[in-house]
Amino acid sequence: MGSANSYKCSISGAGTRPETDSEEELPKQMGIQRPRSVTPLIFICFAISCLDSTSSAQIGTNYGDSDEILNSDHIPASFLCISDQYIMQSYSTTHTSLEDSEFRNFLFLQECSRKDTDIVVPAISLLQQHRNITGEGSHRTLHTSIKLLVQSDSHLRELVIVERLPLGVFADPFELQNLKQRRAFRDVSVFGDTNLELPSFRSNRSVVEIHVDISSRDYENGEITLKLPLHARYQPLEESGYSRVEFGEPDLFLCSSHVQNRQREQRKCMVLSIGGLKTETRSVVWEIPAGIRDHTEYVSAITFAAAVLSAFSILVASVLSSKVESCKNSKKS
Amino acid sequence: MKLVDFRNLLGFSMLLRVFLIVYGEWQDTHMEVRYTDVDYMVFSDAAALMASGESPYKRTTYRYAPLLAFLLIPNSIFHRSWGKFLFSASDLLVGLFIRIILKQRKVPEKICTYSVMVWLLNPFTFTIGTRGNCEPIVCAMILWIIISLMRGNLSQAAFWYGLVVHFRVYPIIYALPIILVLDSQIFRSGQKPPLEDWNTGQAKTPTSNTENKIFHLNLLTALKSLFSRERIRFGLISGGVFLACNAVSFYFYGHEFLHEALLYHLTRTDPRHNFSIYFYHIYLHYERQFSAVEKLISFLPQFTVQFALVFSFSQDLVFCIFLQTVAFVAFNKVITAQYFVWFYCLLPLILPWSRMKLKWEGLLCIILWIGAQTHWLLWGYMLEFKGYNVFLQLWIASLVFLAANTFVLVKIIQRHRFSPLFKRYESSAVKNVTKLE
Repeated sequence: MGSANSYKCSISGAGTRPETDSEEELPKQMGIQRPRSVTPLIFICFAISCLDSTSSAQIGTNYGDSDEILNSDHIPASFLCISDQYIMQSYSTTHTSLEDSEFRNFLFLQECSRKDTDIVVPAISLLQQHRNITGEGSHRTLHTSIKLLVQSDSHLRELVIVERLPLGVFADPFELQNLKQRRAFRDVSVFGDTNLELPSFRSNRSVVEIHVDISSRDYENGEITLKLPLHARYQPLEESGYSRVEFGEPDLFLCSSHVQNRQREQRKCMVLSIGGLKTETRSVVWEIPAGIRDHTEYVSAITFAAAVLSAFSILVASVLSSKVESCKNSKKS
Repeated sequence: MKLVDFRNLLGFSMLLRVFLIVYGEWQDTHMEVRYTDVDYMVFSDAAALMASGESPYKRTTYRYAPLLAFLLIPNSIFHRSWGKFLFSASDLLVGLFIRIILKQRKVPEKICTYSVMVWLLNPFTFTIGTRGNCEPIVCAMILWIIISLMRGNLSQAAFWYGLVVHFRVYPIIYALPIILVLDSQIFRSGQKPPLEDWNTGQAKTPTSNTENKIFHLNLLTALKSLFSRERIRFGLISGGVFLACNAVSFYFYGHEFLHEALLYHLTRTDPRHNFSIYFYHIYLHYERQFSAVEKLISFLPQFTVQFALVFSFSQDLVFCIFLQTVAFVAFNKVITAQYFVWFYCLLPLILPWSRMKLKWEGLLCIILWIGAQTHWLLWGYMLEFKGYNVFLQLWIASLVFLAANTFVLVKIIQRHRFSPLFKRYESSAVKNVTKLE
């Protein structure tokens, strides 16, 4: 009952920067694929024995892989009742940290009361297959593949992926909205620090929440592929000249569809995974160029010297030119 | 080869721009790399917000006057390309204004047409408007200010000057040369000032003393005539328009407007790589704040150059503001390619007075300037799109670019035939002329 979820993430290249013109087209690879078989052969063990502090939740077990178990920490045992369109919407207004423990505590507070929960936990199989970052330079793509099989008559038809980005990278909200318009995903929003220009040491973390409709015709064999374009911030100074940014695992939820214009109605969400164990093999790393502290003194000195020299050259040329003109005109007169 | 006449040139330029706008729409829809500038998306989003009654400053990175968003409201009503047509029309207007200015100064038709072609057929120029950059509007306003001054329409010039400084802060650097050229010995409001035309100085026989003298400013004289009627009027009208526009914008959008549209530009220090020599210095010090002394020291070269140029060339107003703009961009803390348009629109106005020949001095300047840019862009590509740590090489490329700018600027100064925009009035000029010893 506790076999592993394997997360494999791939990040593909050529993401776009707010100031440049390139843009990522995701729609073809972003689709959800419908399971061929409706037989619920594999059941996820939501082995949450009790709500006390010693309980552990295993979500998304997979009998096919031998990866280690993820997410052995506390997770809400039952459904979450979310009033907002996004799970992160109220979190971002009341919290500044994106640490696992604080996020889990928040989720506990979102648990539905027993009288609100009148649905049956569907049979779900979750297997995250691949996670990687691809591309070169300051614009890359975080690639995540998830295999998800859900009992066909379940009302939980929306997979919600919460990507808590590390400090040092950001997602462009406008770029993501453009992808949404191209139907790359059903819905997307960015929370936290959405300033596109500040360096990482002057900015905070941000979160991307992506909603994917698993009932769409693009969902085949339960496989969902996500490509999230990301951009590097300017990094703190490093001796080595490169800053290492590590990505954790995404948080996964399975939710009922959000019904707009009925704001009192709450969405029901089931927690599939919160964060995950980071191991050397599974960690996704992006090395970003950073300024070298040892350059500071001579760069400043030469910069100012160059500015002074150029200014002096122009000053001399201006004065000499003026004098030459006045001499010419004095001779003419 | 028969030279193309201005109407055909303008017609061709118009068709070219329409084609590029249409092509741009196609490319945006069908290709990954968009033709449209990212800034245009920012303007359009801000305009859409304004159209729905919200603040345009809710759009991140919108750092312009609300007026720009207002002009682009039809993007949401008619078609998203409305702004591009507006900017391209301004671009064509700049071409027309260049011709008007040169014709008023009696520049021969052939030289006039070549000068206009430098603007209308410059690839940078016709792409900038069609990609959705708003700088052609600023260029058109500045040229109109020059035309108004040449026609003696002081109030009109002052109005547009106040407006353009509200729209884009950088034209504030032209305040001093404009004020200086409004010398009552030169400029009398209500009268069309006599212009120094192109033929003056071309003739082989010397002309009269009063027409040909170049007067350096005697500091005492300048101070005495500083508060002339024309100068006060210009200052009051332009200052009033500037403050009124800011007051209206502040009334609607509060501190967001002040910070994003004005203060941001005055205090901007961007650590991200750009053409400026200061970018790496700023990045290396970004974790700590600069002291007031450090900020002042870094501003000194810019300050010195601006004053040197104004006091050397203010009477040749167009040449002066051209040099000031090139220097301002070169010594700025942040340099992006769109800033080059600021002096591209003034370059055709000074070419007829340059003794620099295209072969080979002119070509050398062009090759050096473009070469230095290309060199920088190569290192920028290695950093941004390949992920190599080449900050040092990129910074050196910025130094090379500054050197190229300085070289070209010095060459232009050396090869320029100084020609004041206005002639002094003879009746009082004789008494008040100050000769250089």
